Order: sequence, then C-alpha cells, then structure tokens
Amino acid sequence: MTEEIIIAGFGGQGVLSMGKILAYSGLMQGKEVSWLPSYGPEQRGGTANVTVILSDERVSSPVLNFYDTAIVLNQPSLERFESKVKPGGTLIFDGNGFHKFPTRTDINVYRIDATEYAYANNESKTMNMLILGGLLKVRPIVLVENVLKGLKKSLPQRHHHLLATNERSIHIGMELIKKVN
Amino acid sequence: MSKKNHDNEVLLMKGNEAIAHAAIRCGCDGYFGYPITPQSEIMETLMDLAPWETTGMVVLQAESETASINMVYGAAGCGKKTMTSSSSPGVSLMQEGISYIAAAELPCVIVNVMRGGPGLGTIQPSQADYFQAVKGGGHGDYKMITLAPGSVQEMADHLVLAFELAFKYRTPAMLLADGIIGQMMEKVVLPPFQPRWTEEEIKTISPWATLGKPSTRKPNVINSLRLEAHEMEDLNNVLQGRYREIEKNEVRFQEIECEDADYLLVAFGITARICQKTVELARAQGLKVGLLRPITLFPFPTEVLKNYAKSVKAMLTVEMNAGQMVEDVRLAVNGKVPVEFYGRMGGIVPSPDEVLEAFKKKILISPDSYRD
Repeated sequence: MTEEIIIAGFGGQGVLSMGKILAYSGLMQGKEVSWLPSYGPEQRGGTANVTVILSDERVSSPVLNFYDTAIVLNQPSLERFESKVKPGGTLIFDGNGFHKFPTRTDINVYRIDATEYAYANNESKTMNMLILGGLLKVRPIVLVENVLKGLKKSLPQRHHHLLATNERSIHIGMELIKKVN
Repeated sequence: MSKKNHDNEVLLMKGNEAIAHAAIRCGCDGYFGYPITPQSEIMETLMDLAPWETTGMVVLQAESETASINMVYGAAGCGKKTMTSSSSPGVSLMQEGISYIAAAELPCVIVNVMRGGPGLGTIQPSQADYFQAVKGGGHGDYKMITLAPGSVQEMADHLVLAFELAFKYRTPAMLLADGIIGQMMEKVVLPPFQPRWTEEEIKTISPWATLGKPSTRKPNVINSLRLEAHEMEDLNNVLQGRYREIEKNEVRFQEIECEDADYLLVAFGITARICQKTVELARAQGLKVGLLRPITLFPFPTEVLKNYAKSVKAMLTVEMNAGQMVEDVRLAVNGKVPVEFYGRMGGIVPSPDEVLEAFKKKILISPDSYRD
C-alpha cells in the first residue's frame, strides 16, 4: 500500500504540522515515509503545502504531480490541486471561505467544516487535528493509537499536556466529515 | 528532537538535521558557518544539540562565508576534522578558500545545499552548481571529491564518508545536496558515535599537522604559495597523482533496473529519486527504462556509462539546471549512442510524469535526433 497525500492551505493553518504528525504516525506504524514541505516564499502569507507519502515499500520520488488524497483548506489550493487527484482518489475540503466548490465526479469528495467548528468552540489551535480525524475516518491509513504516538514524538515536551485535547479533536473530526459525492 | 538517541533507532528528520547529527557522531572537531536558506537547520541543529558540552566540538557562526572557509582552513591545518556548510551564493564566496585548502593539501568537508541561481537567485532547490563543484569553482587545477546524496539517510552517511575520503587523500570533499534533500524528512538511522581524535592520534593520522614543533623534526609548513615555478609544478603533479588515485579507487554509483534496459536515465541527487519513479511509470507502460545514479560526481562513473553505451539505445540526462552533468555523460559515451537532456531551472523541480513525457518526446519520438 502506498498513499500519496498533498495537504494545502494558508500559511498558519497548520498544514505543515498536520503533515508532520501524519509522517510521524506512519513512522510509528512501521511504514516508509517522506515529508516534503513547500519552504519557499509561499510559506510567508501565501499558500503552504506539504507532500506526505506513506508506503509499505521504499519511497522513490518525494516529488509528485498526482495524489491519492488531497486535503485543501483554501480556495487557491482547491483550484491548484483538484485536477491533481488521481481518478478514484479522495478530495477533502474545509468549506470555510469557499465560493467555488469541487466539480469532479470521478473522485470521492468530502467536506469538513473544521474551521467553523473550531471557531465556534474556541478551539482554533486544534483545527488541523479535526481535519486529520476526518481524513482518518475516510482513509484509515494509520491507526489512531499510532497518531497519538506520532504526536508525542513530534510535539515538544512542553506541549504534551495537550495530547488529550488533540485526541478528542481527532474523534470530533471523524464525526464532522461529510461525503459530498 | 531529543538530544540523545539510542543507536540503530529509526528517526524521522530533515536532511539538514541529519548532517548536524552525523557531524557530531563522526567526531567532527569544528563547524564554522553562516546561515542561508535552505540549509540553516544544519547550524540551528548543531546549536540546539550543543556538542561543545558533550564531545567538545566547536560550533561557530562566523561573520561571513569567507570567514567560515578560512576558519576551516586554519583548523584543518591542525589536523582537525572540520567542516562548513552553505547554499549556492555562500559557496561561491568560499571558492578562493577552497582553492587554497586544495593547494595546501588539507582535508575538510564542505556541504552545499544548492538553491536556484545565478546571483542571489531563489531559495528553491536546484542542481546548478555541478560545474562549480566538479570542475573547480576556484582557480587553478584542483579537484574536490564530490558526493551527491539522494536521501536523508545518505546525508548522514555521506558526511561520514566525506571525512574519511578527505583524510585519506588530503583533499577537500564536498556534499552536493539540494534544497529538497535538505528540507525533506525521511527515516534515518544515524551513524555510530566515534570519539574525536586525541592530539596523539592526530599526530599519527596526520603527521603533516601543525600542532607544535618538537625538536626532533623540521617544522611542518601549511602553505599554498610556491614562488618557484618548478616547485609549483611539483605540487601540481602530486595533486594530479592523487586525483588519478581517487578516480581509480573511489567511483560510486547506483544502478536501478539497468540489467535489461533499452534506455537509460542518468541523474544525481534528488533528481535521481524523481527519475526512479519515472522508471516505475515507464516500466508499467512496458518501456524498458533504467536509471544510473552517479553517487560520486568527482570521480565520475565514466567507465560504467561507457559500458552502458554498448547495451542501450539512448540516454536521457535529467538535472535541475540548464545541462551540466550531461557534458560528462556525453564525454563518457563519446558519441556511441544519443545522449539527450531534460532540465528545469531556477528552483523548479520536475515531476516524475513530466520526466516521462520528456523521455517520450526526446528519445522515443525523435530517436535520430542526436545533436551537439
């Protein structure tokens, strides 16, 4: 099994960290992993993205043009990556601020209103964990217990008291995600 | 990132971080550098790990790249394991120092995590410093052992190897990486801990080192100036002899799906990883494509390419530059089969399917198109 994932959104939405947690989860599950961030000027206020590959075999190219799963958190990212999802693949979007929505019918499209939920419940810092929960609901590529182990590895010690909150957010995210087509 | 980890533990880290860890573990005595994207994590990680408290390794942020390379020059003269790192514009600033170090027959390691040029360029990944690394970016007839890591694991492994080779041949060695390998995270098992050399060990390993002159021998002199032309030619002969030894002994390369290949991709570093996926895509379409990845860029795997020119129909060299290594591939192949080139410049990274399209267009559709 190989899962090629792109996560894209505004800088500051936690795109790179979400990818990092996913990569660490893969590591904990004994998978081969690669995590490739956009480190260019787009990181500063524009759109940021990260390519994460989890595989049972050695990862060849960390650079990809087509993905099994795309998670897009803003309009420009949807426009850039909707066409890059492989037929039969998965597209997850957070509807906040979108005025144009996915149009493809040959892929599985899911909506998760994580931003809206996070602001309504004063939990903006765990927004990306809601989305990660949503992803794991529809693409159970890693076990939640390994995500928690991964979180522990990737978070500095001083943030370890937040692990329980993050776990709760993952489960809420699993409830929030809805299939669009 | 914890400061201590158990040996053989599989870790996830960036290529830049792996270099920092490997430096401490291989008993490096000193790192001198100046920050520049996309390699600043090397010094950041070293500062975070604070090896001066454990192994005694010095980590120093110099006032410029010129200062860094000259600090390396000085410390290397004392037989110490020293290194610097930078990215393209910074490495350009170091060229004079590298030429001096080569002429003074000193070992050291220089890491170049390449970014797009020319000029101050961009912070995005590139491979446009191939010529600078393997053809001698500084003045005079010198060569640098040049390793091209293709993974985070190799960032760690090649740093250790670069030090070994630098000391074996008393020459500067370079790790020629790029922004992607520096910035991406992959699994890595760090090399085992080796203690730093004691002064007694340095005297045995590097009897030329300037560690204070006992009354029993003549002074050791570290110098790159020979006013007498004959003496300068003698030094050149020594250096050239050593480069021939390196060419004989140290060629390293990787062959992927080459045995039955009709066509060969040739690529180094991250581009080889991208091409590896291209090989998978091509094979799935029934095209017998293989990949040859030079691991050492100097010495270049000339002989192996010459041999493949007897068995394949054509080669495509893929690089993130305007076509640099392709010249060495063409020299090796010497016109026996067509050698085409595909590249992206200025920080743009080609994707595996883009390379496959280029292969089809340049090799399959116009097979008689060998042009100089």
